[in-house]
Amino acid sequence: MDNFLKQLPGFVNEIKTLKEIIITNIVLIGQTPAPTFREKRRSKIFMERLAEFQVDEVTTDGYRNPIGIIRGTDAGKPPIFVHAHLDTFHEKDQAINYVIKKNTITGPGILDNSIGVGVLTSLPAIFKKLDLRFESDIVLAGTIQSIGKGNLRGVRHLLKTWPTPIRGGICIEGIELGRLNYYSDGMIRGEIGCSISDERGKLEEYKPNAIIILNEVINQIMSLSMPQRPRSRIVIGKISGGANHGKIAHEGGIGFEIHSDSYKMVKKIFGDIRDIIEGLNHEYEVDLNLRTISNLRASRLNYTHPLVKNAAAVLETLGIKPFSKSTESALSIFLSNKIPAVTLGITHGVGHYKEKATMEIEPMYQGIAQIVGVIKAIDSGVCDEQQLA
Amino acid sequence: MGCVMNNNWLEKNTFHYSDFKDLGRLVEEKAKKNLKISLCLPTLNEEKTIAKEIIILKSELMTRYPLLDEIVVVDSGSTDKTTEIARAYDADVYDAAEILPHLEPFKGKGENLWKALYITQGDIIIYLDADIKNIHHRFAYGLLGPLLMDDHIKFVKAFYDRPISIGKNKMRPTGGGRVTELVIRPLFSLFFPELTQLLQPLSGEYAGFREVFERIPFPIGYGVETSMNMDIYEKWGLDVIAQVDLDRRIHRNQDTKALGRMAFSILKTFINRKVRLGLIDLRDELFDEMIQYNLVNNKYQADIYKIEGHERPPIIEIPEYCEKFKIDQEHIQKLQEA
Repeated sequence: MDNFLKQLPGFVNEIKTLKEIIITNIVLIGQTPAPTFREKRRSKIFMERLAEFQVDEVTTDGYRNPIGIIRGTDAGKPPIFVHAHLDTFHEKDQAINYVIKKNTITGPGILDNSIGVGVLTSLPAIFKKLDLRFESDIVLAGTIQSIGKGNLRGVRHLLKTWPTPIRGGICIEGIELGRLNYYSDGMIRGEIGCSISDERGKLEEYKPNAIIILNEVINQIMSLSMPQRPRSRIVIGKISGGANHGKIAHEGGIGFEIHSDSYKMVKKIFGDIRDIIEGLNHEYEVDLNLRTISNLRASRLNYTHPLVKNAAAVLETLGIKPFSKSTESALSIFLSNKIPAVTLGITHGVGHYKEKATMEIEPMYQGIAQIVGVIKAIDSGVCDEQQLA
Repeated sequence: MGCVMNNNWLEKNTFHYSDFKDLGRLVEEKAKKNLKISLCLPTLNEEKTIAKEIIILKSELMTRYPLLDEIVVVDSGSTDKTTEIARAYDADVYDAAEILPHLEPFKGKGENLWKALYITQGDIIIYLDADIKNIHHRFAYGLLGPLLMDDHIKFVKAFYDRPISIGKNKMRPTGGGRVTELVIRPLFSLFFPELTQLLQPLSGEYAGFREVFERIPFPIGYGVETSMNMDIYEKWGLDVIAQVDLDRRIHRNQDTKALGRMAFSILKTFINRKVRLGLIDLRDELFDEMIQYNLVNNKYQADIYKIEGHERPPIIEIPEYCEKFKIDQEHIQKLQEA
């Protein structure tokens, strides 16, 4: 591995010679809309591109996750998974047109996760260019139904039904270069809806206002005490409601996530929120409801795990300063299936969920070199000895 | 009065880009025929789309499949970052005014296309507009397909799906854009009915052999597509022309006034061609100003655009061109006289 690390900085310029191919993959895939549950078109292009790059096998699993397999040299070694989710936050099922400038690409969904998927489809060409063969099969997995209500169903199914042990995994996200995620908090993502009945006989001005009631819900959630240990927090990230500036709102909703080191604590806080909802339901005689959208158990690798240590060494060799924080993504599914895995970011960018999300092109080549480095680390056996508890 | 049309043409010479998606086969044909292929992108302030066109075409048709030998950008003096960006992605970028600089300079798409003939090397030249938002390599290989696979085809034009609804869940492609349907198609129907089979005669994407392009004149402005269709038809007949469905094309939409100016240019080119062919007689010269009106502070104000309609001669008549491509000019002159 040490010898390989020495070669790694030289790979950056080699990878850069494929810039047109890599950017073309990012653009052609990214411009194909793929809202969660409607990923079919992007899935088709993903498979077409992999087939064009002469990947040994291109297929879908039973859940229609598209995958490509590059056969390794040792049939006895379990496969290495490289993963990027196909679906995007951009919900419009319409033509998307990216704008490429001298050092940037701009357009909806570029950061989450067109870069990841585009890089995934470019890996066969990159391995060829770098003249790299691996002992393990490399499974390039673009999974569907990851975001929001998708609740990571695609990757859950893929890993649960894969017929052999899996040697290790790398999840690719567009940003931020330097992230080295190796643990996931426990999480419940939920929605609270409030609707006021259209009951006849009640004067409009005496009806309760859904927004005011949701405001009360928020106030009561904010007054819940959050323990420092296990570290826990609630994020209220979405709000909607009402139809008109001067009318009482009949409908409203908020979206939230509870995070904690301990899934037990997540469930306890969720129970507290349920109590708040029930109390306000009685008090205001409205229809307040609480729904769980998705949940994840807390899972982690230790910082001393060889995969984390070697991945950090790869990043540092490339001059990238690693940083870590919890991520609630496909990584947690790998870890909860006892597959050692990390999440890595490819480049820098701004405007994550905006129409004009913008990625930087130049740092991407370093970002790709780190992916190659970590695949090589797993292939050299860093995940083989230490089993996950 | 009706006309006798070559009805087979539409069926025989109309293709879909997917007929040519086996790029390996096109590369083989290109090698077998020992051809060079150039791609030319004429530009004027296209900083939002130029990079994407260069990158995708280079990736797919140069790096992965060696179909294109060069990508050339000919710019009309962009004031945005078009040329800087194009250079950053390794295209050969030229300022139109600096090509054959001793000639009086003109500004226009036709000028760029004509001058591209001087600076490119290809036996086949593909012209693509630089404002295509949904650029895909099919735009180039679709046009190349008939030229490489059929020895009779010398010029290929693109057409696109412009879907309209014809009932629940049913769509069908129609013909061209507004200028095509309101100006060109009526003119072609009146004077050259066979050419109505070109579904989108004004499409800005076409490809052909150098031996064709070098022998026809190029109007410097919007009339270039109209004149090209007419001149190739007059000189070599309809059978050397093919058209290819390139699926959808998304580009900048133009307002009605801009389309009016475009129509003016096209009409002028068309009428001049008819006069030259002796098909119509004009008592006076045509005017060269397009006059449009705006309501400003309750008064109608004229917007006058001078559209002179300059035209470049066949480039084979330019000595520098003949010298560069080692063409015996006298021989050409004799051929033309014959």
